[in-house]
Amino acid sequence: MSLLVRTHLRLARTSIKENRTRSFLTCLGIAIGIASIILILSLTGSISNLITSEIGNSQDLIVVRPSTSKDELTSVIEELTSANSFERSNLQIEDAATIAELEQVVAAAPIAQSVVTVNDEDNVVASATILGTTPDFFTINPLTFRYGSAITDKNKDTAIVIGHTLSLYLFNTSNPVGRTLVFHGQRFLVVGVLEEVMDTVNFNNTDYNNIIVMDINVLNDLIGSLQVQQINVKVANTGELATTAETIRTALIEQHSGDTNFIVAYGEAIAHPASALLTIISGMLAVVAGVSLVVGGIGVMNIMLVSVAERNHEIGIRKAVGASSRNILMQFMFESLILSILGGFLGIILGYIFAFLVSIVTPFTPFVSWHIILTVFLTTFAVGVLFGIYPAIKAATKNPIDSLKHYR
Amino acid sequence: MNEEIIKLEKLTKRYGYGDAESFALKDFDLTIKRGEFIMIMGPSGCGKTTLLNIIGLLDRATSGKYLLNDENVASISSAKQSRIRAKKIGFIFQNFNLIEDLPILENVALPLIYVGMPQSVRLRTASAALKRFHLGEKEYYYPYQLSGGQQQRAAIARAVVSNPEIILADEPTGNLDSRASYAVMDELKRIHEEGNTIVMVTHNPALTVYATRVINMLDGQIATDVKTVTDENLPQPIDVKVKKKKSRMKRRRH
Repeated sequence: MSLLVRTHLRLARTSIKENRTRSFLTCLGIAIGIASIILILSLTGSISNLITSEIGNSQDLIVVRPSTSKDELTSVIEELTSANSFERSNLQIEDAATIAELEQVVAAAPIAQSVVTVNDEDNVVASATILGTTPDFFTINPLTFRYGSAITDKNKDTAIVIGHTLSLYLFNTSNPVGRTLVFHGQRFLVVGVLEEVMDTVNFNNTDYNNIIVMDINVLNDLIGSLQVQQINVKVANTGELATTAETIRTALIEQHSGDTNFIVAYGEAIAHPASALLTIISGMLAVVAGVSLVVGGIGVMNIMLVSVAERNHEIGIRKAVGASSRNILMQFMFESLILSILGGFLGIILGYIFAFLVSIVTPFTPFVSWHIILTVFLTTFAVGVLFGIYPAIKAATKNPIDSLKHYR
Repeated sequence: MNEEIIKLEKLTKRYGYGDAESFALKDFDLTIKRGEFIMIMGPSGCGKTTLLNIIGLLDRATSGKYLLNDENVASISSAKQSRIRAKKIGFIFQNFNLIEDLPILENVALPLIYVGMPQSVRLRTASAALKRFHLGEKEYYYPYQLSGGQQQRAAIARAVVSNPEIILADEPTGNLDSRASYAVMDELKRIHEEGNTIVMVTHNPALTVYATRVINMLDGQIATDVKTVTDENLPQPIDVKVKKKKSRMKRRRH
């Protein structure tokens, strides 16, 4: 068996070498498809690495979120299309207090987001995302302040913290501490400005550059029926995340009289909403790249059909001297497999070259992993088989007598 | 007693149905013994090539029995047929049928791939076969670089390289001038004398002098069948001779 495999490999190599240009162009078709897949996988891989590293900094974090009965895809699409996600939350502001009272927990902060129209002193109207929380938010999720400081229990009734970009937009200055903003008919004092944040992807699902942070109870009074979208929990002992999460779960179920419509997440699962979105986007891009791979595959099939037609006479001779249909089938299958796998290797190289070029102009770092290489290898294998099988069957089922007459 | 290697019984090959029905072979009976050099003659369309293709397992008869070494091979799977073709049958064609893209050496080694020989052994065996046909120095030439006679000698080398039971030649001299024809026939005569069995189709009556048996075909049936050499005097392969000698010696001892 191995002997025949080696013979077929040698035959395929000879035949590919004989038609160098043709084989190279066919490989290139596959290579371009593979290269675009590599490019997409390596870039999305680098983004998801970014998210994971974000979580990596907060080892002592547990996040409670309302769960939806809908499947993942629907909820992600909703997240994309609606400004206020998680409108129908069943978490309460009091739940944060319940959690905070637990033994293992250092602090717990509820988060609720809403969009408001704000006026500053000069009546510039802007739309901004407002994040209602408690002063504990800044303990759990340490944010750097460019100017001023966090909201405290003392000043929480009128104090707000704003993001860097919003500050520039509203006040034309990066230091508006001491100035005021008006929304919902109330005047608020800016006590702090956040440092500009580079990566806007985080587990709070918040753009910190464009935000107003204020006390959740005050916000609730302003808007009414505020939905808590998330409760961030800081734990004392990082080694007992799982048991603490379980304790929180039990406590909340009790509080909600048996209702289990929420998720207690820790570790990598915290990044979930963001990475689910990412998975879908990269999946869509991969489908587009897959289309080009299919085109490449059709190229392989085309060239194999040409090869079969050209070598009709040879097939007849081989059959006459004892080749079985299976031998012929294998000979042509090996040829298309080698073409597509060579294309795959070329594609991996091209793809990473592209990815490095892209990384020069963007903040991404190309992400190389054996998973990607393995996926690509299996994909090219599948392409070789899928698009090689028809020409190979065509070659194998040729009648040797007719093929022998077909003299060129 | 000479061993029968091929026995055809009531072999029929039909093309078409109903009004369009025609027979390439009709109730054809033939027994081929080891060491025979059979020449098949007859007008075009009398079924010579069909007969050769069926004996060579490239084609299947519509009905009838085909025994090769006492095994009925008419109805076995095509995979098994190709295995038999690789081991027991050697083909020589009118247009040589060498693969243009391969050097002579690899062309000759071709049947050995399907017998399952490793490459080094394959090339050594093929090289030895080429030397037997005086083409030892042309091993790495491509078919188009050789004359017709040389190409046909290479094709003969390919046909005998796996030591087949029977060699089938379909007008091997049809594309050659008379000088090259006789050279090729001399090679065939030589391999026949070494004990090989040959069935050859030809249009050239002058070549029948090489044969031990001449069959004239007409409309898918045998018209005349003449043996010029008695069965006892047919050449035998060396291993068969040795076997016979041994059995004779055994008999003597008893």
